[in-house]
Amino acid sequence: MLPFTVEFRAGEPAYEQVMYAAKKAIMSGHLAPGARFPSVRLLSQELRIHPNTAHKVVMALTAEGILAVQPGIGTVVTAASNASEQDRTALLKDEVERLVVEADQLGLTEEQVVAAVQKHWRKLSPKS
Amino acid sequence: MNAIECEHLTRAYGRALAVNDVTFAVPAGSIFALLGPNGAGKTTTLKLLLNLLRPTSGLASVLGCETTRLTKAHFRRIGYVAEDQIYPEWMTVSQLLDYYRPFYPSWDDALARRLTVMFDLPEDRPLKKLSRGMRMKAILLTILPFHPELLLLDEPFGGLDPQVRDDFIRGMLETVGSDRPNTVIISSHDIAEVEQLADWVGILLGGKLILAEPMISLQARFRRLEIVGASVASRLPDRLPPAWLKVERPASTVVQLIHNAFTNSVAAEAEVRAILGEIKIKPYPMTLREIFLVHSDLGRIEKKGQRHE
Repeated sequence: MLPFTVEFRAGEPAYEQVMYAAKKAIMSGHLAPGARFPSVRLLSQELRIHPNTAHKVVMALTAEGILAVQPGIGTVVTAASNASEQDRTALLKDEVERLVVEADQLGLTEEQVVAAVQKHWRKLSPKS
Repeated sequence: MNAIECEHLTRAYGRALAVNDVTFAVPAGSIFALLGPNGAGKTTTLKLLLNLLRPTSGLASVLGCETTRLTKAHFRRIGYVAEDQIYPEWMTVSQLLDYYRPFYPSWDDALARRLTVMFDLPEDRPLKKLSRGMRMKAILLTILPFHPELLLLDEPFGGLDPQVRDDFIRGMLETVGSDRPNTVIISSHDIAEVEQLADWVGILLGGKLILAEPMISLQARFRRLEIVGASVASRLPDRLPPAWLKVERPASTVVQLIHNAFTNSVAAEAEVRAILGEIKIKPYPMTLREIFLVHSDLGRIEKKGQRHE
């Protein structure tokens, strides 16, 4: 079992989708600092992706400093909470873009979209 | 390095061309999905690669050797699961392994044991008493432990339940990976099964190779564009750009087109506006299945066209 799930979307590169899911799991604290990150083989077998794709994901996350290799243990999550607001916002980029495009096509204004987001935020968010 | 290279590979059965002037290369380390409907030439192509058939013209090479010159030593590095695989059905799983092991110097007993457990195979039951799924797994168990540098799987998923398919793919992934540049070709009409897995895709239709390229480039360049504008459907000119693979008008205000050279939304919008005027476009990424169906539909239309001529 993997500590995060990937819902593959049609026609988008597997690499980007797995990167996104992994980063979200780490930045949201789902995968805490010090937690073991799945091996290339496990990632590949559980997600049914090419091992090279899984390898690329682990390498990229390591290069970004999100994962670190610990001899004898494998790859572990480093400082997840260090993710800047900017990093976390970037994770939602595609969703926001999609929302804006959809809203524009429906002929909604910026204010109407913001108001709709706020309304849902208040309804769903437990924090406010 | 390429694990496979085909140049103008052609195979005729009588007057029919089962494989018609096929040229492509498969880089070592890739998982190549060879897609096509039944009778498209997938099995013939694989058999040509294994020298089970001789090309009528053109040539193919695997692992750096022309197929007609392949020797026993090469076949120790190649695994093949045929669609109608013949197996010694009186043997038990462990007898089968004992039988195959001596043929392969690279046999990895630890992997064989791991796979036996993973596949949940009863070792002492004759193959004929096993289900089809179990037998397929047993066959894979005779191939994966020698870490084939080239693995050819012809319609491996046919008639297998999802659990067995999953085992099958997991098993296969045990021996493919960045530490080993082993190459896999899976022929299939089961597209969803290979969509995330394959990093290269080839589509065969009626013996012709329609495309063969990295999955990433295929996913990047294909888009379904939804174009919306007042009376846009009637503004379509007779001559359309060649990259507009398929154009449909579901309503007078809507045009759907399949674009096969998409780069980005801004460029696509500019291109479409130059032809159709003031419109809005919405690009949708396409699944491998959709891309495949567009091509097989076009193939069908073309065939009909030829018949009418």
